[in-house]
Amino acid sequence: MTTTGTGVGPAVFTSPQHDARNAALLGSALGNSFTVCFTTGLFSHLAQYAPGWFELPARPARLYRVTQGVHVTTGVASIPLLLSKLWTVYPHLVSRPPVRSVAHAVERLALLPLVGGALFLLMSGTANVARWYPWTFNFPRAHFWAAWITIGGLVAHIGAKAGTSRDAVRRTPRDPSLVVSSGAARRSFLGGVAGAAGLLVVATAGGTISPLSRLSALAQRRPDDGPQGLPVNKSADGAGVTDLIDEVAYRLRIEGAVATPLVLDLAELRALPQRKAELPIACVEGWSASARWRGVPIRDLLDLAGAAPGASVFVESIQPRGGYRTSEINSRQASDLDTLLALEIDGEPLHPDHGFPARLIGPNRPGVLQTKWVEKLVVT
Amino acid sequence: MSRLGFTRGQVVGLALAFPLLGYGFRGVLVDAGQTHPAELGRWLVGSAILHDALLVPLVLLVSVAVARLSPSWARPPALWALATSAILAVYAFPFVRGYGRNPSVPSLLARDYVAGLAAYVAVVLVVAVAWALVRRRSAGGRGDGLAAPVDADPRPAHPVEA
Repeated sequence: MTTTGTGVGPAVFTSPQHDARNAALLGSALGNSFTVCFTTGLFSHLAQYAPGWFELPARPARLYRVTQGVHVTTGVASIPLLLSKLWTVYPHLVSRPPVRSVAHAVERLALLPLVGGALFLLMSGTANVARWYPWTFNFPRAHFWAAWITIGGLVAHIGAKAGTSRDAVRRTPRDPSLVVSSGAARRSFLGGVAGAAGLLVVATAGGTISPLSRLSALAQRRPDDGPQGLPVNKSADGAGVTDLIDEVAYRLRIEGAVATPLVLDLAELRALPQRKAELPIACVEGWSASARWRGVPIRDLLDLAGAAPGASVFVESIQPRGGYRTSEINSRQASDLDTLLALEIDGEPLHPDHGFPARLIGPNRPGVLQTKWVEKLVVT
Repeated sequence: MSRLGFTRGQVVGLALAFPLLGYGFRGVLVDAGQTHPAELGRWLVGSAILHDALLVPLVLLVSVAVARLSPSWARPPALWALATSAILAVYAFPFVRGYGRNPSVPSLLARDYVAGLAAYVAVVLVVAVAWALVRRRSAGGRGDGLAAPVDADPRPAHPVEA
């Protein structure tokens, strides 16, 4: 086999940037960013599809906003990291012989879930942020299960490469062939990768970090763009509720495990003690924006109906269909005074797109669980 | 190292990875109504094939062109500018095309993404030109001291410092 540059793969790979030290450094950065992405993604999944053993806490109120912003931002930053890492190690793909031992064959086989999974996760995550779904599967489910497969591949890869990587980043590696690039060329290369990642982050993160909004020309949103200066994902028209909203006929029903089932009209709701809270809408797609809400604490409504302490609540919208027409408020969130049936935003009645006449808004909840156009609270 | 070539790290890695892989693959199958395993499989495998068989060879071809057409001081900035612009363009593609636009939510994908992409590519070009000029000035005083072989470089590989 003729080799140059990195000593691996065919002679065409003359760039010293294919060396093992670059692979180790980029791999380490990528391993960290994928771990952060996986952890925050897992948290988002637990928040949205809470299993019986998990109760999303109400505090810190902005936790989901931060974790989901971090999830999407690290995913975006991972795009140049992943592509440069794969380019760095590409000569190994075409090196000969293709398989040197059983262990080598297993190592290479484990790369398929890692590489295919990592590319798919970043591509599908980007498409989701752009709300583009060129497939028939359910994005959250496919993205979630593919993440476990990818992390499995990553753990196998770390196990196989940990020794080489440790050696490659030593000041003087035991195997000198692991370091081919000069220090200056390496700094240029890795600095270029970091620069690309930084540019992509600045170009996108303004959807959640308001001061960056003007610079974030590729962000999905402006945090202040929307009805009443707040974005929405689903409008009243889009949800098919425009004709169902009737201020006079509106009734909120509170039923289920309560001593006194209640039916309250809008005037009665407005006559109850109101509470103000500044809380964010934090979308799973990474954008978020805060607003000042005013409404009746869910806890007060439960007390009024005589619900037992520690009750949880199933919230229903007048929205006739859609995966997010209902949500659950667990007992920790239901007992938090800032979990509101909101009637106003910034001192004005809610815009229909924000859920007029009444919507749920609570601390540390994904945006899709801040149910709009609420008509029923079922206490469980 | 075992007879089959396994290192201890690899064995530990595989032992930890199997439950994760198993959980993921099982989830795809159990949740088949939502995940559409055959289609998802095509996306997972297809992503890797597309990258390995199309994207990287394309990058190599560009690298060949850059190596042949540009002086050594310009090569890393030129490749960086091309790669970064390409990444920005690929990321921006669904935004520019506006596949996800929804007439009932005008605030969604409301930016001028063509102009935004052009502005970022312009920033990349300005940085790359400045970087290249700095490299040329440095190279001027030291001959070809900034030679940085790229892939398919027509010159023989130089011994380099560790």
